[in-house]
Amino acid sequence: MNLEEVRPGQEVLILNVYGKEEVLEKVKAMGLREGRRVSLLQKVGRNLLLKVNNSRIVISRELARGIEVQ
Amino acid sequence: MKSVRVALVGNPNVGKTSLLNHLAGTNLKVGNWPGVTVEKREGRVKFQDYQIELVDLPGIYTLEPLSEEEWIAYNYITQEKPDVVVNVVETPNLQRDFLLTVELLELEIPTLLVLNMSDEAQKLGVEVNDRWLSELLGVRVLRTNGRTGKGVKAILPNVVELYTLKEKPKPLRYSKELEEVLEKLRESAQESKSELLRKLLQERQNLHYREFLKNTFGKEAHEVVKDQRYATAHGLYREVVKERPLTSKDITDSLDRVLLHPALGIALFFLVMFMLFKVSFDFSAPFMDWVEGFINGFVAPLVSMGLVSLGAGPWVERLFSEALVGGVGFVLTFLPLVGVMYFLLSVLEFSGYLPRVAFLMDRFMHRLGLHGKSLVPLLLGFGCNVPAIVATRTLETRRDKLIVISMIPFMSCPARLVVFSFFATLFFQNPAVVIFSLYMLGVFVALLTALLLRHTAFRGELYHFVMELPPYRLPTLRLLLRVSWAYVRDFLYRAGTLIFGASVFIWLLLNLPPGVKDPSESVAAQVGKAVAPLFKPLGLDDWRVATSLIPAFLAREIVLSSMGTIYSPQVEKEEKEFDLLGAMKEQAVSLGVAAKDAVLNTFKPVPTAFEVEEGEESLRQVVAKSLSPPAALAFMVFLLLYTSCLGTVAVMWREVGRSFALLFLAYSFVVGWLAGFVAYGVGKALGL
Repeated sequence: MNLEEVRPGQEVLILNVYGKEEVLEKVKAMGLREGRRVSLLQKVGRNLLLKVNNSRIVISRELARGIEVQ
Repeated sequence: MKSVRVALVGNPNVGKTSLLNHLAGTNLKVGNWPGVTVEKREGRVKFQDYQIELVDLPGIYTLEPLSEEEWIAYNYITQEKPDVVVNVVETPNLQRDFLLTVELLELEIPTLLVLNMSDEAQKLGVEVNDRWLSELLGVRVLRTNGRTGKGVKAILPNVVELYTLKEKPKPLRYSKELEEVLEKLRESAQESKSELLRKLLQERQNLHYREFLKNTFGKEAHEVVKDQRYATAHGLYREVVKERPLTSKDITDSLDRVLLHPALGIALFFLVMFMLFKVSFDFSAPFMDWVEGFINGFVAPLVSMGLVSLGAGPWVERLFSEALVGGVGFVLTFLPLVGVMYFLLSVLEFSGYLPRVAFLMDRFMHRLGLHGKSLVPLLLGFGCNVPAIVATRTLETRRDKLIVISMIPFMSCPARLVVFSFFATLFFQNPAVVIFSLYMLGVFVALLTALLLRHTAFRGELYHFVMELPPYRLPTLRLLLRVSWAYVRDFLYRAGTLIFGASVFIWLLLNLPPGVKDPSESVAAQVGKAVAPLFKPLGLDDWRVATSLIPAFLAREIVLSSMGTIYSPQVEKEEKEFDLLGAMKEQAVSLGVAAKDAVLNTFKPVPTAFEVEEGEESLRQVVAKSLSPPAALAFMVFLLLYTSCLGTVAVMWREVGRSFALLFLAYSFVVGWLAGFVAYGVGKALGL
């Protein structure tokens, strides 16, 4: 499944990050990379609030759709 | 004295600004990077025999730049080559922060690694073996607490030693295949790893090396390099960091549950904004009155007394006391408001609340084609356009900045309210309805302007929303005061010359030809008479209205006093004896009263700043006779939309550039005129 389908409170493992957007490089540098665990804290509007390690990151749903998790 | 250029580099929100504040103290300066509206914070300190120039680079996650901020940091590091890099990392997030550290080490510039927020790490159960870290990388490692300043003292001595010893970090070792390729590209021993990588990835003649890497690793060469960086960063993390899982609740999670709640969070946001306005108006109002009294009742007479005793003629004396002290002074009366707003904005920023507003409100803002971060600068515009425009520095793209800066001046500020309440109470049965409609009209025109810009100059998709929400942190009062003072000083310093120039120019218009007694004989009146036909379609064909707009360019509310002098020039200025000692005492006492009032006001439940003072009765009668209600409506609409505010124009000029500021001024004039024209027509049709 992709990250957008994750329910709030759930913790998942990132399998792959797809997509060609330049901004994905930033997203990866922020810690959303394959092999990392991420938990979804909240969904608000077009954005998701995630917790990766000790940091909280907001990304848009469109980007989340390109992140494969389990 | 030798100067050492030191760059503070790190991810966003790692506390670089707090460290800079501890290092630079009162020498903290804020400004803009040349040509862009990205904030530059810097400081200069003397240490031993060195002049240390500290620059706080915009926060970045990687040296692969995308946004304006990232380009600035990237260009500074790679082109201006600082003497020493201070890499500030957030200890609880080393897993993420080490990527940038690895990229910085590739540059092989003397580097100091600062583990900031080591206190937070401890609470989260994160332990770092800093000795081992230092050994692995060959860099000095320090621990600091940016909030209290603990450990900060050790930074400068280490920076100086790194500089004098030219102490370079150990070269990083990537995989064997990659290292071999890089060695083949090496032309001199001086070349850093970052230069070799650039040659590998960018130079045309090295295509075969890239092909070689692609065949070896099954990935494009730049992907190979990235993977190696990540692997190095991850390896480093695993070597030096131990995380004990802690069960204790994180305060940030608890606060977020309330502050980011989809319904409650929004209600609390509006409460926070209401408090921000209430405190900034009520706390600053007594000081604003004091500044006005101080300038007119103390500085102006003092300057004119000094000039007279020096033997200056009356014309020179008036130029100084009226144009310089009066004109510039009037813009300065807004300083307490601007300062308090900067202070409160810094509280929101440094506490970590500001990015949360962006997250919370993005779902409304993005429907307007704007980033969630745009909301706060727009709302600040209702308080004062000047700090609102400066607040757009937090926006990431130039497109967003320019759109929001073009919207802010239509947000009606208290200076406009003063004018509205004078005219609305004079001409209309329901002044509150009229004033409310004017505010709404301002918002409407702002939205229309954004729409216009998005369909012409700034086409294109709204970019993806990616940001980090830092943990909540309690900023220290010292940091907040220094940062807001730095903003105020920057405004004075950079907008000062423009404000001064415009004040003198306007005064000259009103006082030339020499010896003019009555404003109706001045150049300003000639200009007013010449442009009066332009305002005829708005029902404002009286030359006195057009003329009063000239001095009102300093600030809108001046229109009332300038109408006063133009409509009834017979009012004589009171001549009083000026007694220096007595006046000083008087000013000191009134400053004390202002401070007391400021504190009292702040704790009153209802905002006091909106209590409108009654205008002068004589002026009310003259104006009432000379204007029709539809014309008064047109006048208010015009003044709402036209950027008749020197401070705003000056800050736009400085933030975005002269041509933008002047173009926007012309645009606002045209929009104001058109809307005024419509308002006049509607007003007549309604039979007001």
